[in-house]
Amino acid sequence: MNPADALTPILDIPDEEVAIRLRGIGNRFGDVVIHEHLDLDVLRGETIGIVGGSGTGKSVLMRAIIGLRPPSEGNVMVLGHNVWSNDPSERKALDARWGVMFQDGALFSNLTVRENVMVPLTEHTSLPPKLALEIADLKILMAGLPPSSADKLPSELSGGMRKRAALARAIALDPDILFLDEPTAGLDPITAGKFDALVNELKETLGLTVFLITHDLDTLRDACDRVAALAEGKVIAIGPLDHLREHATGWLSEYFGGPRGRAALG
Amino acid sequence: MRVSPFSNKALASKLDFVSPRVHNDSKLNTLPPILVVDQDFSQEGPFLPEQEAQFAIDRSGPAPVLRVTGDWTIHTIGSIDAELRPVRDLDADRPTIVDVSGLIDLDTAGAYVIEKALRSSEAEPAQMIGKHAVAGRMLAEVRKFTAGCDALPEPIALWRQLLDRIGRGMVQVYDEMIDTVGFFGETVVACGKALSNPRRVRWLPTFAVAESAGLNAVPIVMTLSFFIGAVIAFLGKTILQDFGASVFTIELVGFAVLREFGVLITAIILAGRSDSSFTAQIGSMKMTQEIDAMRILGMSPMEMLVVPRVIALLVMFPILTFLAMIAGIAGGAIVTMLTLDISPTLFFNRLNDNVGVDQFWAGMGKAPVFAFIIAIIGCRQGLNVESDVISLGQRTTASVVQALFMVIVVEAIFALIYMELGI
Repeated sequence: MNPADALTPILDIPDEEVAIRLRGIGNRFGDVVIHEHLDLDVLRGETIGIVGGSGTGKSVLMRAIIGLRPPSEGNVMVLGHNVWSNDPSERKALDARWGVMFQDGALFSNLTVRENVMVPLTEHTSLPPKLALEIADLKILMAGLPPSSADKLPSELSGGMRKRAALARAIALDPDILFLDEPTAGLDPITAGKFDALVNELKETLGLTVFLITHDLDTLRDACDRVAALAEGKVIAIGPLDHLREHATGWLSEYFGGPRGRAALG
Repeated sequence: MRVSPFSNKALASKLDFVSPRVHNDSKLNTLPPILVVDQDFSQEGPFLPEQEAQFAIDRSGPAPVLRVTGDWTIHTIGSIDAELRPVRDLDADRPTIVDVSGLIDLDTAGAYVIEKALRSSEAEPAQMIGKHAVAGRMLAEVRKFTAGCDALPEPIALWRQLLDRIGRGMVQVYDEMIDTVGFFGETVVACGKALSNPRRVRWLPTFAVAESAGLNAVPIVMTLSFFIGAVIAFLGKTILQDFGASVFTIELVGFAVLREFGVLITAIILAGRSDSSFTAQIGSMKMTQEIDAMRILGMSPMEMLVVPRVIALLVMFPILTFLAMIAGIAGGAIVTMLTLDISPTLFFNRLNDNVGVDQFWAGMGKAPVFAFIIAIIGCRQGLNVESDVISLGQRTTASVVQALFMVIVVEAIFALIYMELGI
């Protein structure tokens, strides 16, 4: 299915065209309801941007999808596997098929950049050490880092370089799905623009599905095939950016119509 | 694009053959006949097992051709790397044509090793023959970076790393010493300022530290001192009995506990207990930029964090020492009374006559010095934490180690001074 035609959270298409399938997701912290009956289908090979005000549970949703925090209710299927199944083999089938870039990078601070990228390689493959080193260097270069940064510790890198290093680790195993949590937050506009281009390029090369949480309107415009807006505990609108802007109501019209939205989207 | 393991065991058992996955229809004709299993696979997606990566070099034509077959992914290239390395070392004789018609699955890692085995660069890319869904794009993408992977710095030799670390270690020890002395001076000035104007002292945190570092340490300090006192009494009794002088056990307990162990046990416990917590508290505040925020708001971290800890320990340390002495004497007293059949009256009379209050003051005199050492080292290490987790761990370790080291060294200096003074 062409992302441009996928305008509903639930899509009537076979499983193998779907990368992530969420059904009836509910999340609550005590009495606070974050998500209620949330449905979402992410197509294979698309970049989907998740937007929503602070506290609408974008990160909570991502943590439910990647298996870090169980949803209070609902079903999470990734690449045809149930993430929260009691059968450990279901979960194992997904190991090494997704890469995650956390908000602050979450690089291991006692390892150099190269060692960080080598962690998934040594954990999940049986490459000879020398080849693993070379592959790690390849990923570091693909993520747009200069060769000299490979031997540095994360604390010695700038914010933008840390994000690239985190991206290099996320793509180390050529995953099918890449999760990016606010990849451009805290970056200057030029670096952020380069990062968007990099994500696009990697997506093209590796044939990735990208699940991208962002507040950045430029990223939505430049990197996303579709945008899903979270509010009131569910996906209130989904579709290509232009479609969403035309049909924006409530929070979305404020989001797109505010001075920042107008400035970014023109 | 990726091989997924069998997710359905029933299905797996039906397949007693290995079948390649197909990326484009044109390849169907060239592949061996495929056994069709009567089962709908569409729900499962690609699930077939990995095929071994294999290659051959065909030099029959005008230019050598590298033929790659099977899956070339990060999971399969490990086994072929050793065979492929000699091809890489051929340099100019490397094949310039790659035949991908037998290639099944390919990812960037696989593309990298193929590209490395070819004489190929961005200026003169290798030729590709055969059809493959992604090979052309993957090879082109990886080609941009293969040259860079060679240029990456070689790891430093082990012996040079060793020398490097020794050198850095020596410089670090020197810097630490200078730094500690500097911080000591700074703290003395800050404390002097605070005490000359007691309103400036932050009393709330001072009392909080006094409680957590002082009051809460009472049970552990007293218990350990009690046992140390008892052990000294046992030791004294066993050895002095041979000389028929077992009654001198009382003097031994008195001297040892009052002069040395009461204060030393307290110092060692606080060095472990409070120094680590001071460093961790201040260090994590440093990591979350709370200390920077304090400075910006015109509050001095010395005044806010260091002075309360120093004052709290200066007050609580002598109290803890006093309690440790009582517990130690009690431990010794109970053992001597039970094993030597000495009455409490005799015990305390001998203690009073032969040990005397001098020994108590000799011990107590060290307390403020130890308190100051412990507080300063803990705070200084905390303030030196940087923004990463490793430095927090290193600083906490350094804090406890330095405090214990200094306590023992100063204890030895005191012993010398007291000896010269004839106490």
